[in-house]
Amino acid sequence: MSELDPVRLRQLQRVGILSGFAAGAWLGAAEAPTKLVTLGVSPVLISFMMVLGVFLARWSLPALVRGTAALRDDVRQAPHLLVWAALGGCLWAVANTLTIFAIKDIGLAIAFPLWNANSLLGILWGALLFNELRDAGRARWIAVLGGAVVMFAGATVLAVTSSAIAPGGNAVRGVVAALTAGALWGTMYIPYRKAYLTGMHPLSFVAFFTIGELVMMTVLALTFLGGPQQVWRELAASRDILFWLLIAGFVWVVGDLFQQYAAKYVGISRGIPLSNTNQLWGLLWGMLVFGELAHAGRGDVIVGSLLMAAGAGAIAFASAPSREYRRWQEAGARESDRYSVDPAYVAARMAGNDAGAARHGALDWLLVLVATAIFVAAASVARVPALDIAWGWATALTLALFGFLVAGGVALWRTTRFG
Amino acid sequence: MDSPPSPSPSPSTRSRGRAIVGDVHFWIPVAVLAAGLVVLWWIA
Repeated sequence: MSELDPVRLRQLQRVGILSGFAAGAWLGAAEAPTKLVTLGVSPVLISFMMVLGVFLARWSLPALVRGTAALRDDVRQAPHLLVWAALGGCLWAVANTLTIFAIKDIGLAIAFPLWNANSLLGILWGALLFNELRDAGRARWIAVLGGAVVMFAGATVLAVTSSAIAPGGNAVRGVVAALTAGALWGTMYIPYRKAYLTGMHPLSFVAFFTIGELVMMTVLALTFLGGPQQVWRELAASRDILFWLLIAGFVWVVGDLFQQYAAKYVGISRGIPLSNTNQLWGLLWGMLVFGELAHAGRGDVIVGSLLMAAGAGAIAFASAPSREYRRWQEAGARESDRYSVDPAYVAARMAGNDAGAARHGALDWLLVLVATAIFVAAASVARVPALDIAWGWATALTLALFGFLVAGGVALWRTTRFG
Repeated sequence: MDSPPSPSPSPSTRSRGRAIVGDVHFWIPVAVLAAGLVVLWWIA
């Protein structure tokens, strides 16, 4: 097993950490379009429409950046990852639906920190199954675990502050739903890590992940809404909000792509807590742009934000040393042996050295065209809600968002050619 | 002179399927997904 150049390792760690922070910003911003949606629409339908946007983005972005021919090459190398990707998508869809019920029963204040405990589960799976944090040294263990716990405390403060509506549901049912959602999301990172230890490209992985998402979400929507006719009727009745949810799904996918790169280059034990800063960004959008918490709670928000920032900072500075990276390579070698994947391919992909050449064909442009047409059609019938929006803050946060996109994109391109 | 080693045959779909089923890592997300669906069914 060849030793990775320490300079290269530091570059990969830096780009992974930056990807984790960019993921937090974009995943948090995905909440903004959903705030434009009026009440009275079924939560399952909202989730379903978001997944439609996610599906469009997860196929059009990879087609645009790499081309579907590159996807086919990846599948030829590691076809077993199709099963893993679809399984991850199923986990996401069930978790997302559970969170809707959790919020209904116990409110966001209690529910959010409960499912955000997924980062602690991510650390457990990372260490137990993929050799993460092995040989990392006590200081890094303390920094990662302590950082995750501090972030959890910060998340709790933020969630309690952001909760304006008292819950009125079944408390036990809500707590179970939130904890189960956290367990599903924390476990969803097993397929992520599995894919990147076996050399799968993030853009290929997400394209197949979303098949699991869409299939599972369709089954759930049909079950909860009462059949295909009812789903269609509700979709048609809600067509004027479809655009905002498609946009939310698109923004979410950009965030998730960064999250995939974070999982690939810093592992799930560090990547998940960093992308969990999305809660902070979601609150910033709510507070500054939509005027939430205008009369109370800002002090608590500052405390919670500082705690989250401190926890994320501790994790960001606990990057993996060479000896820990060797243990990751061992885990990668185990995967390539088990699934008969070329070890050279796995090693090159793990080190971000083999992105594969981008090749575009007619199918790619067709995918991009169809996705764009659907977005334009949805926009043409969209209704702009009459909401009091602070456009100055909206512009500032959007600029910050694009700042992360450019910084993360340039760093990924320079270091790995999006590999 | 030694002849170059012949490339190993690519594993069949069946053997890859066996590798997935025999991978203990696979059953963790499957078990969690099943538990999640049970909880969802209970809540609904």
